[in-house]
Amino acid sequence: MAEQDLATKPSQVKSKELKALGFIIFLLFPILTISGIGAYGFVIWMIQAFGGIVSH
Amino acid sequence: MKWFITIWRTLNKPAKYLTLGTISLSAFLMGIIFWGGFNTALEMTNTEAFCISCHSMESKPYQELQQTVHWSNHSGVRATCPDCHVPHNWTRKIARKMEASHDVWGWLLQTVNTDEKFEAKRLEMASREWKRFDRDDSLACKNCHDYASMKWESMSKLAQKQMKRAAEIDQSCVDCHKGIAHKLPDMGTSRAPELIAQVGSGESSLQVGGTYFTALTKPLYFNDTTDVEAGTLNIATKVTVLETQGDRVKVGIDGWRKKVGAGRVIYYDFGLNILSAQLSKEAALEEGVMEIFEQKEDPMTGLQWQRVEAKIWTEKDFLVKDLQPLWDYARETYSTSCSVCHTQPSEAHFDANTWPGMFQGMIAFVNMDQDTQALVQKYLQEHSSTFDKSAH
Repeated sequence: MAEQDLATKPSQVKSKELKALGFIIFLLFPILTISGIGAYGFVIWMIQAFGGIVSH
Repeated sequence: MKWFITIWRTLNKPAKYLTLGTISLSAFLMGIIFWGGFNTALEMTNTEAFCISCHSMESKPYQELQQTVHWSNHSGVRATCPDCHVPHNWTRKIARKMEASHDVWGWLLQTVNTDEKFEAKRLEMASREWKRFDRDDSLACKNCHDYASMKWESMSKLAQKQMKRAAEIDQSCVDCHKGIAHKLPDMGTSRAPELIAQVGSGESSLQVGGTYFTALTKPLYFNDTTDVEAGTLNIATKVTVLETQGDRVKVGIDGWRKKVGAGRVIYYDFGLNILSAQLSKEAALEEGVMEIFEQKEDPMTGLQWQRVEAKIWTEKDFLVKDLQPLWDYARETYSTSCSVCHTQPSEAHFDANTWPGMFQGMIAFVNMDQDTQALVQKYLQEHSSTFDKSAH
Protein backbone atom coordinates (compact mmCIF):
# COMPACT_ATOMS: atom_id res chain seq x y z
CA MET A 1 0.00 0.00 0.00
CA ALA A 2 2.92 2.29 0.67
CA GLU A 3 3.89 2.12 -2.99
CA GLN A 4 0.37 3.07 -3.92
CA ASP A 5 0.51 6.18 -1.72
CA LEU A 6 3.81 7.21 -3.18
CA ALA A 7 2.24 7.01 -6.59
CA THR A 8 -0.64 9.34 -5.69
CA LYS A 9 -0.24 13.09 -5.37
CA PRO A 10 -0.44 14.76 -1.94
CA SER A 11 -3.49 16.81 -3.02
CA GLN A 12 -5.34 13.60 -3.94
CA VAL A 13 -4.54 12.03 -0.60
CA LYS A 14 -5.72 15.16 1.19
CA SER A 15 -9.04 15.15 -0.64
CA LYS A 16 -9.45 11.46 0.14
CA GLU A 17 -8.85 12.13 3.81
CA LEU A 18 -11.33 15.01 3.84
CA LYS A 19 -13.94 12.89 2.12
CA ALA A 20 -13.44 10.07 4.60
CA LEU A 21 -13.72 12.46 7.53
CA GLY A 22 -16.86 14.00 6.08
CA PHE A 23 -18.35 10.57 5.48
CA ILE A 24 -17.74 9.55 9.05
CA ILE A 25 -18.93 12.62 10.88
CA PHE A 26 -21.85 13.61 8.68
CA LEU A 27 -23.16 10.24 7.61
CA LEU A 28 -21.84 7.10 9.25
CA PHE A 29 -21.75 8.06 12.92
CA PRO A 30 -25.09 9.90 12.93
CA ILE A 31 -26.71 6.90 11.26
CA LEU A 32 -25.08 4.49 13.70
CA THR A 33 -26.09 6.61 16.68
CA ILE A 34 -29.70 6.92 15.56
CA SER A 35 -30.03 3.23 14.79
CA GLY A 36 -28.33 2.42 18.09
CA ILE A 37 -30.79 4.57 20.04
CA GLY A 38 -33.64 3.14 17.99
CA ALA A 39 -32.56 -0.42 18.72
CA TYR A 40 -32.18 0.40 22.40
CA GLY A 41 -35.72 1.81 22.50
CA PHE A 42 -37.05 -1.16 20.58
CA VAL A 43 -35.43 -3.64 22.99
CA ILE A 44 -36.95 -1.85 25.96
CA TRP A 45 -40.33 -1.82 24.27
CA MET A 46 -40.07 -5.57 23.62
CA ILE A 47 -38.98 -6.26 27.19
CA GLN A 48 -41.99 -4.32 28.43
CA ALA A 49 -44.32 -6.00 25.97
CA PHE A 50 -43.26 -9.59 26.59
CA GLY A 51 -41.44 -9.72 29.88
CA GLY A 52 -43.83 -7.44 31.67
CA ILE A 53 -42.23 -4.82 33.84
CA VAL A 54 -41.90 -4.68 37.56
CA SER A 55 -44.09 -1.79 38.43
CA HIS A 56 -43.14 -1.22 42.05
CA MET B 1 -18.33 -0.41 -3.78
CA LYS B 2 -15.08 1.12 -4.95
CA TRP B 3 -15.66 4.39 -3.10
CA PHE B 4 -16.26 2.42 0.06
CA ILE B 5 -12.96 0.56 -0.27
CA THR B 6 -11.15 3.84 -0.91
CA ILE B 7 -12.69 5.37 2.21
CA TRP B 8 -11.95 2.25 4.24
CA ARG B 9 -8.29 2.33 3.19
CA THR B 10 -8.00 6.02 4.02
CA LEU B 11 -9.62 5.51 7.41
CA ASN B 12 -7.37 2.61 8.19
CA LYS B 13 -4.15 4.64 8.38
CA PRO B 14 -2.98 7.71 10.23
CA ALA B 15 -3.93 10.90 8.43
CA LYS B 16 -1.10 12.30 6.41
CA TYR B 17 -2.24 15.84 5.70
CA LEU B 18 -5.17 16.52 8.05
CA THR B 19 -3.86 17.51 11.46
CA LEU B 20 -5.02 15.82 14.66
CA GLY B 21 -6.40 19.23 15.64
CA THR B 22 -8.61 19.49 12.56
CA ILE B 23 -9.93 15.96 13.00
CA SER B 24 -10.68 16.17 16.70
CA LEU B 25 -12.14 19.67 16.49
CA SER B 26 -14.44 18.75 13.60
CA ALA B 27 -15.53 15.55 15.36
CA PHE B 28 -16.17 17.48 18.59
CA LEU B 29 -18.21 20.17 16.84
CA MET B 30 -20.21 17.62 14.86
CA GLY B 31 -20.92 15.74 18.06
CA ILE B 32 -22.41 18.86 19.60
CA ILE B 33 -24.37 19.76 16.49
CA PHE B 34 -25.66 16.22 16.05
CA TRP B 35 -26.75 15.74 19.63
CA GLY B 36 -28.38 19.16 19.71
CA GLY B 37 -30.16 18.41 16.45
CA PHE B 38 -31.23 15.00 17.67
CA ASN B 39 -32.76 16.38 20.83
CA THR B 40 -34.41 19.23 18.96
CA ALA B 41 -36.00 16.72 16.59
CA LEU B 42 -37.03 14.54 19.54
CA GLU B 43 -38.59 17.53 21.28
CA MET B 44 -40.35 18.48 18.07
CA THR B 45 -42.10 15.10 18.06
CA ASN B 46 -43.03 15.79 21.67
CA THR B 47 -45.18 18.83 20.98
CA GLU B 48 -48.91 19.00 20.75
CA ALA B 49 -48.65 20.58 17.30
CA PHE B 50 -46.89 17.42 16.11
CA CYS B 51 -49.47 15.11 17.72
CA ILE B 52 -52.46 16.84 16.21
CA SER B 53 -50.88 17.13 12.79
CA CYS B 54 -52.64 13.81 12.20
CA HIS B 55 -56.33 14.26 11.47
CA SER B 56 -57.47 11.40 13.71
CA MET B 57 -55.70 12.91 16.72
CA GLU B 58 -56.96 16.43 16.05
CA SER B 59 -60.56 15.54 15.34
CA LYS B 60 -61.31 13.31 18.32
CA PRO B 61 -58.93 13.21 21.31
CA TYR B 62 -57.85 16.85 20.98
CA GLN B 63 -61.42 18.13 20.70
CA GLU B 64 -62.51 16.03 23.67
CA LEU B 65 -59.62 17.28 25.79
CA GLN B 66 -60.92 20.81 25.29
CA GLN B 67 -64.07 19.93 27.24
CA THR B 68 -62.10 18.96 30.32
CA VAL B 69 -60.32 20.55 33.26
CA HIS B 70 -57.00 19.44 31.83
CA TRP B 71 -57.51 21.99 29.06
CA SER B 72 -58.64 25.04 30.99
CA ASN B 73 -59.02 25.67 34.70
CA HIS B 74 -58.70 28.44 37.28
CA SER B 75 -54.96 27.97 37.77
CA GLY B 76 -54.19 28.29 34.06
CA VAL B 77 -52.01 25.20 33.94
CA ARG B 78 -52.87 22.77 31.18
CA ALA B 79 -51.76 19.34 30.12
CA THR B 80 -50.62 18.79 26.54
CA CYS B 81 -50.72 15.40 24.79
CA PRO B 82 -47.14 14.35 25.59
CA ASP B 83 -47.46 15.35 29.25
CA CYS B 84 -49.65 12.31 29.79
CA HIS B 85 -48.89 10.04 26.86
CA VAL B 86 -45.08 10.15 26.65
CA PRO B 87 -42.92 9.13 29.62
CA HIS B 88 -40.62 11.92 30.79
CA ASN B 89 -37.69 9.68 31.65
CA TRP B 90 -35.29 9.52 28.68
CA THR B 91 -35.03 5.73 28.33
CA ARG B 92 -38.77 5.20 28.64
CA LYS B 93 -39.37 8.08 26.25
CA ILE B 94 -37.19 6.49 23.56
CA ALA B 95 -38.98 3.18 24.05
CA ARG B 96 -42.34 4.95 23.73
CA LYS B 97 -41.17 6.74 20.57
CA MET B 98 -40.28 3.39 19.04
CA GLU B 99 -43.61 1.98 20.16
CA ALA B 100 -45.33 4.92 18.48
CA SER B 101 -44.03 3.69 15.13
CA HIS B 102 -47.05 1.39 15.43
CA ASP B 103 -49.23 4.49 15.06
CA VAL B 104 -47.63 5.20 11.69
CA TRP B 105 -49.12 1.92 10.48
CA GLY B 106 -52.50 3.03 11.73
CA TRP B 107 -52.08 6.26 9.80
CA LEU B 108 -50.97 4.51 6.59
CA LEU B 109 -53.77 1.93 6.76
CA GLN B 110 -56.27 4.61 7.87
CA THR B 111 -57.34 2.59 10.90
CA VAL B 112 -59.18 5.37 12.72
CA ASN B 113 -59.61 8.07 10.08
CA THR B 114 -63.38 8.38 10.44
CA ASP B 115 -65.66 8.97 13.37
CA GLU B 116 -67.18 5.48 13.09
CA LYS B 117 -63.83 3.74 12.89
CA PHE B 118 -62.53 5.73 15.84
CA GLU B 119 -65.54 4.90 18.00
CA ALA B 120 -65.30 1.24 17.03
CA LYS B 121 -61.70 1.12 18.22
CA ARG B 122 -62.07 3.49 21.15
CA LEU B 123 -62.30 0.82 23.83
CA GLU B 124 -59.32 -1.07 22.43
CA MET B 125 -57.20 2.07 22.27
CA ALA B 126 -58.30 3.24 25.70
CA SER B 127 -57.56 -0.19 27.17
CA ARG B 128 -54.04 0.00 25.80
CA GLU B 129 -53.54 3.44 27.33
CA TRP B 130 -54.96 2.31 30.68
CA LYS B 131 -52.57 -0.61 30.68
CA ARG B 132 -49.72 1.81 30.10
CA PHE B 133 -50.84 3.93 33.04
CA ASP B 134 -51.30 0.84 35.22
CA ARG B 135 -47.81 -0.32 34.47
CA ASP B 136 -46.15 2.61 36.20
CA ASP B 137 -48.86 3.47 38.75
CA SER B 138 -50.01 6.48 36.72
CA LEU B 139 -46.61 8.14 36.78
CA ALA B 140 -47.80 10.45 34.01
CA CYS B 141 -50.40 11.91 36.40
CA LYS B 142 -48.00 11.94 39.30
CA ASN B 143 -45.55 14.12 37.39
CA CYS B 144 -47.94 16.93 38.32
CA HIS B 145 -50.30 15.52 40.94
CA ASP B 146 -48.70 14.49 44.19
CA TYR B 147 -50.45 12.67 47.03
CA ALA B 148 -48.14 14.45 49.46
CA SER B 149 -49.26 17.88 48.27
CA MET B 150 -52.98 17.22 48.50
CA LYS B 151 -54.88 19.55 50.79
CA TRP B 152 -57.23 17.17 52.51
CA GLU B 153 -59.31 19.89 54.25
CA SER B 154 -60.54 21.31 50.97
CA MET B 155 -61.85 17.93 49.86
CA SER B 156 -65.28 16.58 50.71
CA LYS B 157 -65.44 14.01 53.49
CA LEU B 158 -66.00 11.20 51.03
CA ALA B 159 -63.17 12.32 48.75
CA GLN B 160 -60.82 12.57 51.73
CA LYS B 161 -61.64 9.06 52.79
CA GLN B 162 -61.03 7.63 49.32
CA MET B 163 -57.96 9.72 48.53
CA LYS B 164 -56.24 9.07 51.85
CA ARG B 165 -56.64 5.37 51.35
CA ALA B 166 -55.28 5.67 47.82
CA ALA B 167 -52.34 7.75 49.07
CA GLU B 168 -51.43 5.09 51.62
CA ILE B 169 -50.89 2.50 48.95
CA ASP B 170 -49.68 4.97 46.30
CA GLN B 171 -52.54 3.83 44.12
CA SER B 172 -52.53 4.28 40.36
CA CYS B 173 -54.75 7.30 39.55
CA VAL B 174 -56.52 5.76 36.54
CA ASP B 175 -57.80 2.93 38.74
CA CYS B 176 -60.61 5.35 39.54
CA HIS B 177 -60.13 8.40 37.32
CA LYS B 178 -60.80 7.03 33.86
CA GLY B 179 -62.36 9.14 31.13
CA ILE B 180 -61.16 12.43 32.63
CA ALA B 181 -59.37 13.84 29.57
CA HIS B 182 -61.16 12.05 26.76
CA LYS B 183 -64.57 10.44 26.50
CA LEU B 184 -65.01 7.14 28.27
CA PRO B 185 -65.52 4.24 25.86
CA ASP B 186 -68.91 2.65 25.95
CA MET B 187 -68.12 -0.23 28.27
CA GLY B 188 -71.58 -1.64 28.79
CA THR B 189 -72.48 -2.58 25.26
CA SER B 190 -69.18 -3.62 23.72
CA ARG B 191 -67.88 -7.15 23.97
CA ALA B 192 -64.99 -7.66 26.36
CA PRO B 193 -61.81 -7.08 24.30
CA GLU B 194 -59.44 -7.81 27.19
CA LEU B 195 -61.25 -11.01 28.05
CA ILE B 196 -61.20 -12.13 24.41
CA ALA B 197 -57.51 -11.25 24.18
CA GLN B 198 -56.72 -13.42 27.17
CA VAL B 199 -59.04 -16.37 26.67
CA GLY B 200 -59.31 -16.43 22.88
CA SER B 201 -62.32 -16.62 20.62
CA GLY B 202 -62.95 -20.34 20.89
CA GLU B 203 -61.75 -23.66 19.52
CA SER B 204 -61.21 -23.86 15.77
CA SER B 205 -63.08 -27.13 15.49
CA LEU B 206 -65.69 -28.66 17.74
CA GLN B 207 -66.08 -32.36 18.40
CA VAL B 208 -69.56 -33.79 18.49
CA GLY B 209 -70.11 -35.25 21.93
CA GLY B 210 -67.41 -33.06 23.48
CA THR B 211 -68.04 -30.70 26.36
CA TYR B 212 -67.12 -27.03 26.08
CA PHE B 213 -67.51 -23.83 28.06
CA THR B 214 -68.85 -20.55 26.72
CA ALA B 215 -66.22 -17.82 26.64
CA LEU B 216 -68.77 -15.03 26.11
CA THR B 217 -72.49 -14.60 26.57
CA LYS B 218 -73.95 -16.13 23.39
CA PRO B 219 -77.24 -15.85 21.55
CA LEU B 220 -79.41 -18.97 21.17
CA TYR B 221 -81.37 -19.79 18.02
CA PHE B 222 -84.28 -22.07 17.15
CA ASN B 223 -82.37 -23.83 14.37
CA ASP B 224 -79.19 -23.74 12.30
CA THR B 225 -80.31 -21.01 9.88
CA THR B 226 -82.82 -18.66 11.49
CA ASP B 227 -81.90 -15.28 12.92
CA VAL B 228 -84.77 -15.45 15.36
CA GLU B 229 -83.17 -15.48 18.79
CA ALA B 230 -84.36 -18.05 21.25
CA GLY B 231 -82.61 -16.63 24.30
CA THR B 232 -79.10 -16.23 25.66
CA LEU B 233 -76.49 -18.66 26.86
CA ASN B 234 -74.55 -17.30 29.82
CA ILE B 235 -70.76 -17.06 29.92
CA ALA B 236 -68.71 -19.88 31.53
CA THR B 237 -71.54 -22.37 31.05
CA LYS B 238 -70.80 -26.01 30.30
CA VAL B 239 -72.43 -27.31 27.14
CA THR B 240 -72.30 -30.58 25.21
CA VAL B 241 -71.93 -30.36 21.45
CA LEU B 242 -74.68 -32.42 19.80
CA GLU B 243 -74.47 -31.43 16.15
CA THR B 244 -72.65 -28.89 13.97
CA GLN B 245 -73.95 -27.23 10.84
CA GLY B 246 -72.10 -24.38 9.10
CA ASP B 247 -71.52 -21.58 11.60
CA ARG B 248 -74.00 -23.01 14.04
CA VAL B 249 -73.79 -25.70 16.64
CA LYS B 250 -76.53 -27.53 18.53
CA VAL B 251 -75.70 -27.77 22.19
CA GLY B 252 -77.14 -29.52 25.19
CA ILE B 253 -77.39 -27.42 28.34
CA ASP B 254 -77.77 -29.45 31.53
CA GLY B 255 -79.22 -27.80 34.58
CA TRP B 256 -82.21 -27.20 36.78
CA ARG B 257 -85.17 -24.91 36.40
CA LYS B 258 -87.80 -23.55 38.73
CA LYS B 259 -91.20 -24.89 37.92
CA VAL B 260 -92.80 -21.47 37.57
CA GLY B 261 -94.24 -19.84 34.46
CA ALA B 262 -92.70 -21.26 31.31
CA GLY B 263 -89.65 -22.33 33.28
CA ARG B 264 -87.42 -20.62 30.79
CA VAL B 265 -84.38 -19.98 32.98
CA ILE B 266 -81.86 -22.78 33.38
CA TYR B 267 -79.68 -22.78 36.48
CA TYR B 268 -76.36 -24.46 37.16
CA ASP B 269 -77.66 -26.76 39.87
CA PHE B 270 -80.64 -27.51 42.10
CA GLY B 271 -81.62 -24.55 44.27
CA LEU B 272 -78.77 -22.33 43.10
CA ASN B 273 -79.26 -18.98 41.38
CA ILE B 274 -76.31 -19.48 39.07
CA LEU B 275 -77.49 -18.64 35.61
CA SER B 276 -76.72 -21.02 32.74
CA ALA B 277 -79.17 -19.91 30.08
CA GLN B 278 -82.29 -17.86 29.61
CA LEU B 279 -84.62 -19.09 26.90
CA SER B 280 -87.36 -17.00 25.39
CA LYS B 281 -90.84 -18.10 26.39
CA GLU B 282 -91.47 -19.49 22.89
CA ALA B 283 -88.24 -21.48 22.99
CA ALA B 284 -88.96 -22.89 26.43
CA LEU B 285 -92.35 -24.12 25.29
CA GLU B 286 -91.15 -25.35 21.87
CA GLU B 287 -91.49 -29.07 21.29
CA GLY B 288 -88.22 -30.94 21.70
CA VAL B 289 -86.20 -28.15 23.29
CA MET B 290 -86.54 -29.01 26.94
CA GLU B 291 -86.10 -32.54 28.16
CA ILE B 292 -87.39 -32.91 31.71
CA PHE B 293 -86.05 -35.32 34.31
CA GLU B 294 -86.65 -35.66 38.05
CA GLN B 295 -88.33 -33.05 40.27
CA LYS B 296 -87.42 -31.83 43.77
CA GLU B 297 -88.75 -29.27 46.22
CA ASP B 298 -86.42 -26.57 47.53
CA PRO B 299 -87.10 -26.48 51.29
CA MET B 300 -85.88 -22.86 51.48
CA THR B 301 -88.46 -21.47 49.09
CA GLY B 302 -91.00 -24.23 48.74
CA LEU B 303 -90.51 -24.09 44.97
CA GLN B 304 -90.47 -27.18 42.79
CA TRP B 305 -87.28 -27.59 40.73
CA GLN B 306 -86.88 -29.81 37.68
CA ARG B 307 -83.70 -31.19 36.24
CA VAL B 308 -83.66 -30.38 32.53
CA GLU B 309 -81.55 -30.57 29.43
CA ALA B 310 -82.17 -27.91 26.80
CA LYS B 311 -81.17 -28.76 23.23
CA ILE B 312 -80.79 -25.63 21.18
CA TRP B 313 -78.64 -23.92 18.55
CA THR B 314 -75.99 -21.28 19.03
CA GLU B 315 -73.03 -19.91 17.09
CA LYS B 316 -69.86 -21.94 16.84
CA ASP B 317 -67.48 -19.30 18.16
CA PHE B 318 -66.43 -18.63 21.74
CA LEU B 319 -66.62 -22.21 22.93
CA VAL B 320 -63.48 -23.28 24.80
CA LYS B 321 -62.30 -26.66 26.09
CA ASP B 322 -60.83 -25.35 29.30
CA LEU B 323 -62.65 -23.32 31.92
CA GLN B 324 -59.59 -22.33 33.95
CA PRO B 325 -58.45 -19.35 31.78
CA LEU B 326 -61.90 -17.83 32.27
CA TRP B 327 -61.67 -18.21 36.03
CA ASP B 328 -58.13 -16.80 35.99
CA TYR B 329 -59.35 -13.73 34.14
CA ALA B 330 -62.31 -13.38 36.50
CA ARG B 331 -60.10 -13.67 39.59
CA GLU B 332 -57.71 -10.98 38.30
CA THR B 333 -60.58 -8.68 37.40
CA TYR B 334 -62.27 -9.24 40.75
CA SER B 335 -59.15 -8.47 42.72
CA THR B 336 -58.13 -5.40 40.70
CA SER B 337 -61.55 -3.81 40.24
CA CYS B 338 -62.87 -4.35 43.73
CA SER B 339 -59.72 -3.57 45.70
CA VAL B 340 -59.86 -0.05 44.29
CA CYS B 341 -62.30 1.03 46.98
CA HIS B 342 -62.09 -1.64 49.67
CA THR B 343 -60.62 -4.94 50.66
CA GLN B 344 -62.66 -7.40 48.69
CA PRO B 345 -64.23 -10.30 50.60
CA SER B 346 -62.85 -13.71 49.77
CA GLU B 347 -64.85 -15.68 47.23
CA ALA B 348 -66.00 -18.16 49.87
CA HIS B 349 -67.20 -15.45 52.23
CA PHE B 350 -70.72 -15.62 50.83
CA ASP B 351 -72.78 -18.47 49.41
CA ALA B 352 -73.82 -18.82 45.79
CA ASN B 353 -77.23 -17.24 46.29
CA THR B 354 -75.94 -14.24 48.26
CA TRP B 355 -73.24 -13.20 45.78
CA PRO B 356 -75.51 -11.82 43.01
CA GLY B 357 -77.06 -9.27 45.39
CA MET B 358 -73.68 -8.26 46.82
CA PHE B 359 -72.10 -8.06 43.40
CA GLN B 360 -74.92 -6.16 41.70
CA GLY B 361 -74.91 -3.66 44.56
CA MET B 362 -71.26 -2.80 43.88
CA ILE B 363 -71.14 -2.99 40.11
CA ALA B 364 -72.19 0.64 39.61
CA PHE B 365 -68.85 1.77 41.07
CA VAL B 366 -66.64 0.11 38.47
CA ASN B 367 -66.42 0.05 34.70
CA MET B 368 -67.11 -3.49 33.62
CA ASP B 369 -68.65 -4.61 30.37
CA GLN B 370 -71.60 -6.99 30.56
CA ASP B 371 -69.69 -10.12 29.63
CA THR B 372 -67.09 -9.49 32.29
CA GLN B 373 -69.77 -8.70 34.85
CA ALA B 374 -71.54 -11.96 34.13
CA LEU B 375 -68.25 -13.86 34.25
CA VAL B 376 -67.07 -12.37 37.54
CA GLN B 377 -70.45 -12.94 39.17
CA LYS B 378 -70.42 -16.56 38.06
CA TYR B 379 -66.82 -16.97 39.21
CA LEU B 380 -67.76 -15.68 42.66
CA GLN B 381 -70.82 -17.93 42.83
CA GLU B 382 -69.00 -21.07 41.76
CA HIS B 383 -66.16 -20.37 44.19
CA SER B 384 -68.51 -19.37 47.02
CA SER B 385 -68.95 -21.13 50.34
CA THR B 386 -71.59 -23.29 48.63
CA PHE B 387 -68.75 -25.12 46.87
CA ASP B 388 -65.68 -24.22 48.89
CA LYS B 389 -66.21 -25.75 52.30
CA SER B 390 -62.81 -24.67 53.61
CA ALA B 391 -64.13 -21.24 54.64
CA HIS B 392 -66.22 -20.63 57.73
